[in-house]
Amino acid sequence: MNDKKNVKETVLAAAILICSICLCAGAKLVFHACGPKEDGSYMACHWAEQAIFGIGCAMTAISVFLIAVRNRGMKRGLALSLLPCGAVCALIPNILIKLCMMTEMRCHTVMRPAAVIFGLITAVLGTVYAVICKEEKKD
Amino acid sequence: MKSLAVKNLKGRSVRTAVLMTLAALLSFTVLGGTLVVRSLDKGLVSLKARLGADVMVVPKEATMKKKFEDMILQGTTGYFYMDMSRAEEVMEREGVGQVSPQFFLASTSSSCCSIPVQLIGFEPETDFTVSPWIKRTYGGQLGFCDIVAGSDLNVFVGDKLSFYGVECTVAAKLEKTGTSYDTTVFASGETVKELIRSSLEKGMNDFADIDPERSVSCLMINAADGTSPEELVNDINIHVKKVKAYKTGDMIKGISDSLGGVSRMIGLLIAAVWVLGIVILSLAFTMSVNERRKEFAVLRVIGASRGSLAGLVLKEALLTCTLGSLAGAALGLLVLLPFNGFIEETLALPFLLPGVGSIAGFTAGAVILSVLSGAAAAAISALRVSRIDTGLILRGDN
Repeated sequence: MNDKKNVKETVLAAAILICSICLCAGAKLVFHACGPKEDGSYMACHWAEQAIFGIGCAMTAISVFLIAVRNRGMKRGLALSLLPCGAVCALIPNILIKLCMMTEMRCHTVMRPAAVIFGLITAVLGTVYAVICKEEKKD
Repeated sequence: MKSLAVKNLKGRSVRTAVLMTLAALLSFTVLGGTLVVRSLDKGLVSLKARLGADVMVVPKEATMKKKFEDMILQGTTGYFYMDMSRAEEVMEREGVGQVSPQFFLASTSSSCCSIPVQLIGFEPETDFTVSPWIKRTYGGQLGFCDIVAGSDLNVFVGDKLSFYGVECTVAAKLEKTGTSYDTTVFASGETVKELIRSSLEKGMNDFADIDPERSVSCLMINAADGTSPEELVNDINIHVKKVKAYKTGDMIKGISDSLGGVSRMIGLLIAAVWVLGIVILSLAFTMSVNERRKEFAVLRVIGASRGSLAGLVLKEALLTCTLGSLAGAALGLLVLLPFNGFIEETLALPFLLPGVGSIAGFTAGAVILSVLSGAAAAAISALRVSRIDTGLILRGDN
């Protein structure tokens, strides 16, 4: 029974780490915001990208701690902290930080959905991880 | 038998995962392909409706511009003008029914946060092409310096936008059309003329000797009863100098052809993945049944009927395909719905997602089709299982 739970936890922790890495690396490399204007200045979406990158890095660090830490209480706490982080990450593009005016621009069509999807998936996986850890304690 | 099917699937998790992945691929391809094709079709219908007139008349100089058609159909920003006298000459031609002028202007990038937007001015009294779209979201009359924003503009009703130093209020937002209307700002002709005046005063545009009061960009015309659009186009092109008349249906022919090509490609892709998926599923089920012949023979010995063995194989297939198909459909929706803007940009064709009800229908259809295909692929194996010779297999002479 414990082996099965350990496998579940390991798979979940790996999935959380992958999503977090996708979030921070993707924000800079794959689903980055619109490029600079002709005069070299940045549009508002650039700062949303920076915020997503920052929160992605924090979530990656939490995911690494989740794997490294042995104490189950700490693991639950770390996993639960991913819930607000993921939710905030999903709220950053266009709600907390305005994006470009045209919704057909890259920041709307690529960065926003990717940030929302990865943010929410990480939040959900973190919550599931915390629940599994709680069940373990009951057992 | 039901729990046995579940236990069998859990016991061979790798095989189950592979079969589920195949089923997921089938439903993902069908759902994704169908949604893209339907969205393109809907986009084309919307584009036809959006042009809304039989004939469009523009100054001849405009047609020399490289991006003329992109401006009319794809929403590329730009402007051109002709003198009102030429427009009046067109209006006086026989066979002209409804007619309404439009005024084009492109904003500067600095007025908004990113790139220029196309401004279209129309006369509310005569207009019959833009007003029907606006009426869907805005019932009132557009006042001076009131604007209606396309659905792809990141602004809300009540927001203030400044164009060439003139502050305009967003009175309404258009619903999504899947066409260049989505990135356009609409205003009354008076408002656009004011913007043109302001841009000239600020030296931000060069209209040469164009007088905004005596200029229009294009005329939208419906042919009068008894006159065909072709006849009207020919008449205007022959008798009115320095203008060019287009039949709007011909203008979207290029887009229609591209769309047909893309739809055919997607259809072929769906068919190829479908055939390949069914062949692989059939092979996988056949191999799995061959591998488990002794297991089925033992089940026969302990009392399972031939029918229940076939049922077991079918149940396993149905369970696997249902879970896989649901996962594939969920993934399809997760990719297509949030990233539909990206798909639209990549295809560079009119793209309008179907309504929620249609999407739900397509999703259910894709899942059912995928499950039925999986069941059909497993049916042959189930038939073979029901005909196994127990004695022969248990003796090892298989």
